[in-house]
Amino acid sequence: MSNSTLLVLRGVSKTFGTTTALSPMDLEIERGSFVSIVGPSGCGKSTLFNVLSGLLRPDGGTITLEGKDVIGATGHVGYMLQKDLLVPWRTVLGNITLGARLKGKVTPENREQATGFAEKYGLGEFLNHYPSALSGGMRQRVALMRTLATNHQLLLLDEPFGALDAQTRFEMQQWLLQVWRDTERTVLFITHDVDEAVFLSDRVLVMSPRPGRVVDDLRVDLPRPRTLDTLVSPAFTELKARVLHQLHRERAV
Amino acid sequence: MTKKKLLVNIFGPILSVVVLISIWQSIVTWGHVASYIAPKPFDAVRSVTSNWSTLAPLTWWTIKETVYGYLAGALLGAFLGVILSKIPLMQRVLYPLLILTQAIPIIALAPPLVMILGFGVMPKVVIVAWIVFFPVTVSVLDGLNHVDKDLLTLAKVFGANPLRRFVVLEMPAAVTQLFSGLKIGATYAVTGAIIGELAASSGSSLALYQRSASGSLDAAGVYGTTLIMTAIGIVWFLLVVGVEFLATPWQRRSTARRWRRGAKPVLPNN
Repeated sequence: MSNSTLLVLRGVSKTFGTTTALSPMDLEIERGSFVSIVGPSGCGKSTLFNVLSGLLRPDGGTITLEGKDVIGATGHVGYMLQKDLLVPWRTVLGNITLGARLKGKVTPENREQATGFAEKYGLGEFLNHYPSALSGGMRQRVALMRTLATNHQLLLLDEPFGALDAQTRFEMQQWLLQVWRDTERTVLFITHDVDEAVFLSDRVLVMSPRPGRVVDDLRVDLPRPRTLDTLVSPAFTELKARVLHQLHRERAV
Repeated sequence: MTKKKLLVNIFGPILSVVVLISIWQSIVTWGHVASYIAPKPFDAVRSVTSNWSTLAPLTWWTIKETVYGYLAGALLGAFLGVILSKIPLMQRVLYPLLILTQAIPIIALAPPLVMILGFGVMPKVVIVAWIVFFPVTVSVLDGLNHVDKDLLTLAKVFGANPLRRFVVLEMPAAVTQLFSGLKIGATYAVTGAIIGELAASSGSSLALYQRSASGSLDAAGVYGTTLIMTAIGIVWFLLVVGVEFLATPWQRRSTARRWRRGAKPVLPNN
């Protein structure tokens, strides 16, 4: 394990009754990397997230985050879902600082940090707005800022842009890359969209169901920053083809 | 709110009341209704103003019974809602009892209450609370049971303990529901107080005043008393609506009120 390894899984497994949701899995995630996970439903990607976030206790194995055993604990990762889950009675500022409130009091530093995020990423004018006044894309931005404001190195993003229209989605992807670069976080990103996975990531994990496991682990060495041109480059298409083949080969069996 | 909307909101209700009173007035005037059967609206009002020295303390009592009973009922109702939602066993144990309380005819409740609590304010307060708590309990229970499960999961991942989850997420999430229960309760409250006065009064009360007016064929007095009772109900309901308005700004505003803002305003045109 090198110094730059943030997260290590060794033999992590989980079964529900007779279904093996996650067969013993070894995985290392490098600090600062962007790793996507693709796979059909039932492949164990959600189980993996639930185990990592501490919602589920694995049947066996070890999970080490920044050198610490985190099995069964919560409060060590940022977490975001397709639903933005903004609370309607708190303003944008109040939603970004929700993590701090849930752990105790919101300090002036929390507010300052939240204000900083909002101003840097174009929501400065909306700090005192309620979520009902925001568009879908803006709401997802606030949700991501809330995730960032928990100040955890590891962010688990579960299809965060799944509900957005194609154009907003592309804008959000580029924005996410910018945020990721600025804040030097490590991202684990679940998606159904192969384009999205390849476009965003340093590494794509392809998972397969029955039993849930990783069947391919490919590096994406496309140059950054990535733009529209990335999406139509031959290298991109080649990687995408490989992921698609993996997905469909597994499904055909 | 735009100016036009505001005008509609204020004059709409006034207009409907004026129309109602006009209909009442014309039926009594042109329908040749005897004055001991139904008074003209202004005679009913005049009966109130000319007897105000007698009616004022009675009205005050009724208001007290309504308000105390309502507050007690609302607190009890909210508390029970929380208990029922948080302790599953309690749903089994308490829910049948709660249904039972509502199945008892309220009128039949008065005699035992008088035996226990006497003829003072207390039995009326208990009757009002008895009626008010139920819709509040049901609405709080409903509100708490419908908090987004994913939101609670998120809170868990963020490392929040159950108490914080409750205070920061579940309670505010149930507030909208809570107010629908509080509003239903508000419309019942004065009814409860009057039932209490009818069934558990020895001395003077609005309800007994009305009964004696009825006995002496004083239609203006009967209707006038009804006006007072109705006014108490309406004002109380409006107060609850006002509290809701202040307590849930996110339902009709796009930005937080200035004094609730956590951030320095950056709004250029505000």
